[in-house]
Amino acid sequence: MLKIRTAVLALATLVVALPAHAQLKVVTSTTDLYDIARAVGGDKIAASHIGEGYQDPHFIEAKPSFVLQLRKADVWAYVGLDLEIGWMPLLLDGARNPKISAGGAGHVDVSRAIQVIDVPTGQVDRSMGDVHTMGNPHYWLDPENGRRIARLFAAKFAELDPKNAATYQANTKAWEDRLNAAEAAWKSDLAAIKGKPVVAWHTSWRYFAEYTGMKIVAYMEPKPGVPPSPAHLLEVVRAVKQSGAKAIIMEPFYDHKLADLVARQTGAKVLILPPSVGGVPGINDYAQLMRFDIAQLAAAVK
Amino acid sequence: MCALACATSTALAQEPSAAKRPVTKADSTAADSIALVREMEKLQAVAPAPAAPRAPSAKIAPDISVVGDLVGDLSPDASTQESGARLGVREIELAIQSVVDPYFRGDVYLGFSDVEGARIEQAFLTTTALPWGLQARLGRFLMPVGKQTTTHRHDLHTIEYPWVIQRFLGAEGLKGTGFSVSKVLAPFGFYQELQLSAVDRFGEKDDALQSETAPNKQLDGMGYAARLRNYWDLSQSTNVELSASAITGKREQPALAAPAHDTTITAVNARQSVVGADLTFRWRPLQQGLYKSFILQAEVMHQQNERINAATVPGVYQGPNRDFTGGYVFARWQVGRRLYVGGRFDSLQDPDLGGGTLTAGSGVLEFFPSEFSKLVASFERLSPNGGTATNRLLLQATFAVGPHKPHPF
Repeated sequence: MLKIRTAVLALATLVVALPAHAQLKVVTSTTDLYDIARAVGGDKIAASHIGEGYQDPHFIEAKPSFVLQLRKADVWAYVGLDLEIGWMPLLLDGARNPKISAGGAGHVDVSRAIQVIDVPTGQVDRSMGDVHTMGNPHYWLDPENGRRIARLFAAKFAELDPKNAATYQANTKAWEDRLNAAEAAWKSDLAAIKGKPVVAWHTSWRYFAEYTGMKIVAYMEPKPGVPPSPAHLLEVVRAVKQSGAKAIIMEPFYDHKLADLVARQTGAKVLILPPSVGGVPGINDYAQLMRFDIAQLAAAVK
Repeated sequence: MCALACATSTALAQEPSAAKRPVTKADSTAADSIALVREMEKLQAVAPAPAAPRAPSAKIAPDISVVGDLVGDLSPDASTQESGARLGVREIELAIQSVVDPYFRGDVYLGFSDVEGARIEQAFLTTTALPWGLQARLGRFLMPVGKQTTTHRHDLHTIEYPWVIQRFLGAEGLKGTGFSVSKVLAPFGFYQELQLSAVDRFGEKDDALQSETAPNKQLDGMGYAARLRNYWDLSQSTNVELSASAITGKREQPALAAPAHDTTITAVNARQSVVGADLTFRWRPLQQGLYKSFILQAEVMHQQNERINAATVPGVYQGPNRDFTGGYVFARWQVGRRLYVGGRFDSLQDPDLGGGTLTAGSGVLEFFPSEFSKLVASFERLSPNGGTATNRLLLQATFAVGPHKPHPF
């Protein structure tokens, strides 16, 4: 009897001890969420991401190898607002992991922590292009939203791994301190950007515009997701000339030939800015991403 | 279990300080409560600020979508469509999809066409909460046999299925009504998925064929299928899938003469099996993935037919007395953000030609105005061995109305 009790106690100790050493397996849809999750989770989590920073997050292929990444995950954190609608359902269906399925404790729609902008009102249909009916999903390009993401992760990780809650809280504070310091350093650049007219390729720079104060006077896309037509390019050229915009900002995954054409017609500069961590070599964390984009833009519009 | 383990783990972590003095139950409860309150206060301190109120997005209503598949046949000699139409609505598909409850998702696809009228294309329940990474499907579904058969016809990169699929499995691919279970595996470090299916029958019933007993009278006459998918990432931008499939079951085969005791009998049941292998190579550079991609796909199938001795069955057996083999190679290049060109070469021992070789070469041009519409032009030259070659010029327009669906991979 004593032996059985000893064995049961030993087994119970083993069961209890295993989670103490196990890391939360966190998979994110984008590199930005990955970088923030990694900062908040530290060595208590094992993080990975699906999309790359130089890839259009709307059009990631639902490769079966991603299913292997997701099937053992404890947390699946995604941007939401339909950014991943073209591929996420296939991956979650293939992963067969109730922890991260919709309704599971590890299913984290990060947009729930964000004050979303550009939520369409009234009648919406696809004649308006690739409209996100729940609002603009490119919210991470505002440091205030970066902080919200970090706090959301701290709360979620603490919920799933309560014994390390204090670590997650401390990591979040440390990360915010670093971001605050970085933000102080780029204040003069923000002053240079504020109110300056620019052209953007896609609506992905709306939150960045809200933060920096840059004024988007035209989009290269006539409607979200729709490539520019010759007639629309003429309108963009006209808008640049009228506003005096000095920069056309676009992501590295769009073909820049048409932007170059507008630049030649107007004298504006084409700025290929990474929208995400890893979008260009050397941009390896969130603060670097914001610093790089702000510095490049400030230099172009000064 | 996890909650229990985690709670116990937390308690164990606090043990050293608690061990300094005897702790009463009341002390312990009070201490736990205070600790819990402090923990909640800490979490609230770092909790995200409340987001802006949003329009209510909760919904119970299912996703409803419609796909229209319009086909024009401008072949020089005559229309080659089943309906004979030069310009026609090949199919309208109505999809109704929703989570049913915490255990199932439900998908219903209804098809409407001038030739076949209204019919249930697919209707199945998919489990969402089975243990051990299993997923089961119950109902009518596209059979996982071969590569292209698992794709809806309107989602293909060509207007029609390859000839080997049309001739060996069915012009509209292969559907089955029954049960399917699959499991994702990775014992060797790469993705594998094993899919096993049992369905009421192998292939659609030909209304012109009536056998004395249903092919599935015995359990071994039902349709049974298996597919093993293997997938490897060669690099970030290239990957390859190599899979094998098999299906077997009894099907009605034509009989020349009806037995004396029942003149309505026009067929006898004979076992038919199809085994196949398929290979797909994909290239899509991540950064330029909006503009560049390439797919190379090949599939080979072998159809085995039971040899029926005419003397042992009622009527005179007129079904196939030989096996058939066939396959295709398909390639598709993306030449612009919305433009693709492709080509396919088919070759098979055609059961409809008694095993004579049918070869076909085709080129296809696809233009996607958006993710929700597609315009396709295709030219094909069909060359049956010993017969007259046929040129086919097909046009297709498809459109999707409703929620954004995932892009097929």
